[in-house]
Amino acid sequence: MALTPSVTLAGARYRYPDTERDALGPIDLTVLPGEWVGVVGPTNAGKSTLCYAIIGLAPQFFGGRLRGEVSVFGSPTASQPVNERSRRAGLLFQNPFTQLSGARERVDEEVAFGPEAHGLPQAEVEERVAEALRLTGLQDLRARHPLDLSGGQLQRLALAALLAMRPELLLLDEPTSQLDPAGSRALFDVLRGLHAAGTTIVMVEHRLEAVAALCPRVIALGEGRVLADGAPAEVFNRPEVQASAGMPAFARLAALVGKGPPLPVTFEAAVEALRG
Amino acid sequence: MARGISLYVEGQSPLHRVHPLTKGTLTLVIIALAFIAPSLPWVLALGLIVLLLLASAGVLARFLAILAALLFPIGALLVIVQGLVNPANREVLVPLGPLSLYREGVLVGILTAARLADLIGATFLFSFTTRPADLAETLMQHGLSPRFGYVVQSVLQLIPQTLETVDRIRNAQQARGLEIRGRLDRRIRAFLPLMMPVVLSSLVATQERAMALEVRGFGLKVTRVTRYRIPDSVGQRVLRWALLLLLPLALLARLYGWR
Repeated sequence: MALTPSVTLAGARYRYPDTERDALGPIDLTVLPGEWVGVVGPTNAGKSTLCYAIIGLAPQFFGGRLRGEVSVFGSPTASQPVNERSRRAGLLFQNPFTQLSGARERVDEEVAFGPEAHGLPQAEVEERVAEALRLTGLQDLRARHPLDLSGGQLQRLALAALLAMRPELLLLDEPTSQLDPAGSRALFDVLRGLHAAGTTIVMVEHRLEAVAALCPRVIALGEGRVLADGAPAEVFNRPEVQASAGMPAFARLAALVGKGPPLPVTFEAAVEALRG
Repeated sequence: MARGISLYVEGQSPLHRVHPLTKGTLTLVIIALAFIAPSLPWVLALGLIVLLLLASAGVLARFLAILAALLFPIGALLVIVQGLVNPANREVLVPLGPLSLYREGVLVGILTAARLADLIGATFLFSFTTRPADLAETLMQHGLSPRFGYVVQSVLQLIPQTLETVDRIRNAQQARGLEIRGRLDRRIRAFLPLMMPVVLSSLVATQERAMALEVRGFGLKVTRVTRYRIPDSVGQRVLRWALLLLLPLALLARLYGWR
């Protein structure tokens, strides 16, 4: 029996209210369960809008007009409120601070906010909070005030808050844009573990080196449309992607010294190419 | 980063562990009794109880500092005004040229100040020993809408953070040459470049927070559970009713000659 895709977009187009052109689409896209898909593209390429459309915030929160089909686990976004969709899909935003509920004074209470809102039994809430804190490495900080955490820890807390809902699909909208390298590494480590455990991840990310190293599949967006979709080495070697989204530093380095095409896009491939 | 505008002081005293409803009832009863009590000795006795409770919670010194700042100016004003103009004034205590300070008015001023001290003491007793989150949680468990409970909890934490944003933007604008000190017209001119970024960044943050809450399931029509039970007991419930019973008893006593 065929797997139900985690995400399906079929002829999907979205236009924000009071604007003259579609911010997204037309797009046809399928993400299968367990995939880790990196989404890259320049500013205004429609990366965040893609996340909003999948989770249902566009159009349910923003208004505007969605045409075509967008569904998550076979269920169209139009037929399900965002807060109900949060049972199976979560979205991590750029700014860790604005993801705090602002109503909790301890890390573990903040993580419990979502499961409590879902009306889960107390014992299950406890279990999920412990699990989410363990997955994100925040167990030792559970009694701390959220505002006492560093930026990287705060973003891991925001992720823990989502993981406590045990989402099968995680959407990440530039999750490291406000983190230092150490904070980014810690977040990527957590994501590696989640991917290994079978979580589907769609990650919008500007750090192309990280995308190339972590994501087996990359989608490059430009002006709301898919420019390229495939393995990192394939996508980042496409001239139109290089012109709009850019290319990983290793590929630029290799190009500078006259290696390729194809240009290496990961550290390991670059080392090999430079040795050769 | 600021953590909130709560006055709560961490502690392990018995009073810290008492259920917020019990402490709330105690606070309201103390305040009501302070105004029902007929004379200064009773009001002072009530104040003594409050001081003992504050001391048992380890927050007496903090309270006295606040009391000195809050009550002394108001108390002095009350004593002087009442001493000068109370209609019941008869016996001159201190002649002040064309005016006089009268004994009756001074006593009324002292009584009112003592009642205010009881009120402030009881309020701070509650605030120092009750976590705002526990209070909101208690109210939600007793029927307050979770949305309203969320507003109560978040406002307490978000106001200081908004003030920090104002500070950050003011510093940034000053670094770019904006004059915000000096003459009034200069300050008024500086207001717009200062407030516009504050308002815009607050709107953006509010929108993002609203989206993040939706994504976490906030607003679902389910029976909300909470992992943190605020410990309550039969003894505390009895105590609450006993405290409330004091009020009609005190009123009856006043009617039947409590002086």
